[in-house]
Amino acid sequence: MGFFNRIQNYFSSTKEGPLPSDAEALRLDFKERYNNFKLLISANNKALEIMADIERTLKGDKTFGMAYIKARCTAVSVNVFRMIRKMERLAPGKYEALPERYNAIQNEIGSILSESRTVRDDRLIIPLTDIHVELSDIVGGKMANLGELKNRIGMNVPDGFSITVAAYDLFLKDNDLQTEIDRRIQSATLENMENLVALSAEIRQLIVQGKMPSVLANEINEAVRQLSEKSDQPIYLALRSSALGEDASGASFAGQYHSILNVSTENIFSAYKEVLSSKYGVPALTYRLNRGFRDEDIAMSVACLCMVDAVSGGVAYTCNPVYPSDQSIFINAAWGLPKSVVDGSISSDLFVVSRTPEVNIIRSDIVHKERKFVCYPEEGVCRIDLTGEDTAAMPSLTPSQILKLAELALKIEAYYGSPQDIEWALSNETSAEFHILQCRPMQQMNPEDNPGRETIHLPDMPETAMASGGITASPGSASGPAYIAEKAADILGFPDNAVLFVRQALPQWAPLLGRAAAVVTEQGGFAGHLANVAREFSVPALFSLPGMLEKVETGMTVTVDADGLCVHHGRIESLLTNRKASHFLMLDSPVHRMLQRVSRHIVPLNLLDPDSPDFRPRMCTTLHDITRFIHEKSVQEMFNFGMNHHFPEKTAKQLYYKVPMQWWILNLDDGFHAEVKGKYVKIDNIASVPMLALWEGIIAVPWEGPPPIDGKGLLSVMFQATANPHLNTGTRSKYAERNYFMISRQYCSLSSRLGFHFSILETSVSERAAENYISFRFKGGAADQDRRTRRVRFLGELLAEFGFRSDIQSDHLHARLEGVDAGVITARLKMIGYLILHTRQLDMIMSKPAMVLRYHDKFRNDIEKIMNS
Amino acid sequence: MNQGRPTVLFVDDEIDFLNTLLKRMSKRGIDVRGAGSGEEGLRLMQKSKSDIIVMDVRMPGMDGIETLREIKRQWPLTEVIMLTGHASLEAAREGMELGAFDYLMKPVDIDELLYKIEDAFGKVLIQQKKIKRLEEAAESKHT
Repeated sequence: MGFFNRIQNYFSSTKEGPLPSDAEALRLDFKERYNNFKLLISANNKALEIMADIERTLKGDKTFGMAYIKARCTAVSVNVFRMIRKMERLAPGKYEALPERYNAIQNEIGSILSESRTVRDDRLIIPLTDIHVELSDIVGGKMANLGELKNRIGMNVPDGFSITVAAYDLFLKDNDLQTEIDRRIQSATLENMENLVALSAEIRQLIVQGKMPSVLANEINEAVRQLSEKSDQPIYLALRSSALGEDASGASFAGQYHSILNVSTENIFSAYKEVLSSKYGVPALTYRLNRGFRDEDIAMSVACLCMVDAVSGGVAYTCNPVYPSDQSIFINAAWGLPKSVVDGSISSDLFVVSRTPEVNIIRSDIVHKERKFVCYPEEGVCRIDLTGEDTAAMPSLTPSQILKLAELALKIEAYYGSPQDIEWALSNETSAEFHILQCRPMQQMNPEDNPGRETIHLPDMPETAMASGGITASPGSASGPAYIAEKAADILGFPDNAVLFVRQALPQWAPLLGRAAAVVTEQGGFAGHLANVAREFSVPALFSLPGMLEKVETGMTVTVDADGLCVHHGRIESLLTNRKASHFLMLDSPVHRMLQRVSRHIVPLNLLDPDSPDFRPRMCTTLHDITRFIHEKSVQEMFNFGMNHHFPEKTAKQLYYKVPMQWWILNLDDGFHAEVKGKYVKIDNIASVPMLALWEGIIAVPWEGPPPIDGKGLLSVMFQATANPHLNTGTRSKYAERNYFMISRQYCSLSSRLGFHFSILETSVSERAAENYISFRFKGGAADQDRRTRRVRFLGELLAEFGFRSDIQSDHLHARLEGVDAGVITARLKMIGYLILHTRQLDMIMSKPAMVLRYHDKFRNDIEKIMNS
Repeated sequence: MNQGRPTVLFVDDEIDFLNTLLKRMSKRGIDVRGAGSGEEGLRLMQKSKSDIIVMDVRMPGMDGIETLREIKRQWPLTEVIMLTGHASLEAAREGMELGAFDYLMKPVDIDELLYKIEDAFGKVLIQQKKIKRLEEAAESKHT
């Protein structure tokens, strides 16, 4: 403690002016200041880089999750915090309002990030008989709909109960899982599929190994006991996910979560945990990422329903799922449990029923059904091969059953007032009855995207065709290299924009659809999960083409025409003309909206003009404002400190290049080769790499117009510029009046005023490519607003042609280039040097477009010559 | 006190991650040690001091923030870089208030981390020089 006070006193005593013996201490003091400044600049660059990244991400063409948002917000906050701390070291007590503004902005960001679901109902278990649609935020949409059907429409729905969202929250909290899950998601690099698969496995493991909270276990046991009392036989349950957020903004969440069928009561806990863990299955993780859902918004409630041992089952749509203008009822059916229809593992019968004037079967496509799923008597579900020609080939519903089911479906549609997607099962009892297992609004495709074409028609075989027929599961056409996936591990090698070929339309392939050009299957119908996801992502899908995988090879270029029911060899341009641009699914998603809201406190820049009276800490309303303010002031503080110290070695030197020039140089650290005692520094004593590059650009091409007043070329321009009486208004600081370099070996800032143009350049160049940057601000005066704007646009475009990011607000230009090799930086610095000197030529020509073009070409040529020299 | 090469202590409860980091950093010429917990980190510091500590935030037992507080109390000249999968405004804020050199998010680019270590070491060196000068000044007054 006393030790540090002594250090402080020692250094503060130097402020009165150094005694010769203190020179070494002062040198050290300079060094420390410069080091603080360097760290401040590096934090500034990092913060700006993150802001630019946030802006790019907001365009919505790449996927990101909450982990991205949290990591970016935290990183940008940390860097702004570091800037404030360093500023405090450079100018103690001078900008006290900064931390206050920073805290206020932080609080805004923090409160947006920590918004969470509020659960108003803390019941862990709710019996189905008490459930209706208003409870969807506690039992999930799926279960709420079932309760509605059973209790308010009187439909036949198996009895059961919901393990609610409150139970899910309790499970996570008791096992302290959420923070751990968030941490793992953030630490993973999700661009590659392999990492995603590993992450999924880790998190699912954490959940499956979690302990059931005892209060939850007791309540589940009690619910099971009450269900058992109603039945004279042992009961078996189906556990299905009924997650929150499934019904949001046209998202299907099709097939992401597990359903576990025919669970005996003693295994209910492990089945429950398995269903919960499917929230982190690969399909669900990918889907949330691709569609921008927040992990924490998706809470899993689980529907526990008595198992229906079905004689047949399937899905009914109350309109054509592919071409919605067709109002017919589409029924997919298969023997046994509806599972096979839903997961797309086998082909199923299709019945189409018209609704007017009365329900009438207008088509029956009976397929050969190779197998069925039925319940084992003890537990679980088994697959039985259907060998008997009769059963396999027989329709899985009778005509009267079809009509009855169609009527049920229409009744449900009428109740909800929109087309519905209904999973059903026909029970195995003597009085065969339809049970409704699930019901949700149909995903509505935009009819304009899919002008009604016949779903099923047999096309003529064109010469290019390699296979034709099947079912349009998602409309459109696309071309790309074929990729055959047979086993789960094959998803790892799937290249972007390939055409996916698989045997069965299983949900496990869904994670690839965000990157696939099209998908083709040998089995499966448009009612399956994969078909749903394909439609949602606008990926053309052609299903049910038997023998397809034997006809195609991975790598071969193919064109899939899902509407025309055909797979072609090669790329058929004529089929691709209607291909619509894939839309950005992230836009308007919950995660995207969240990023947009936090970014309003981070990215916008309101503090534009350092000369404005509003350029002060109190006016900072975003993190960008704070960085802009601090950066400006830190450069000035460094400058003033150098100027005010009566320490000959550290005062500004006048540049001597052939003659004394009107350029001053402040050496921050190691910018000179040898110490300079006198008034001048010669150019060959400059050690600053970026300054030398800049200087090379400044002197490369002689000034050629408008003719300088005294006609003496370059040097006279420089004298004349700095002698301009308009600049000496007395309101500006010394810093703004002259052309000043502040340099170290790797760093250079140049504040220059030539004519009426004011520019600030800052750059750092070293072997750390990631930290290299050039920042160039320009504001031109002495012209009307219109010409000033055109001038900065001219410069901005020119800089953009050479890789700069140009940002223009009114007549201010800010151009940045970063993260490139030293060689690129020095070449670009020469360009900037040239521009600083020659921009004055633009003054007179800005109102003449032809001249502007000519100058653009001249500038470009000059610049290329200089950079290559 | 090492003039050329910083001594760095890495503290992380994820042992695989820790070992990879140690391997990659020693390949880049950093003098490394590793600890699997905050407590172990403090024990190692007691034995011999490191210039820099790179430490996780969420760890069982003593967490990164607590450990940071203790390190800054006992060894104020050691610079601590937090490196974590725990992106939280509050934790970052607390760490920075306690004097962490920086708060980095996993996954981190290995070169970026290396630069951070170099920057932190630059600060350490200046502090060391200042103290040395002070000691010399105090001595010359005595003599």
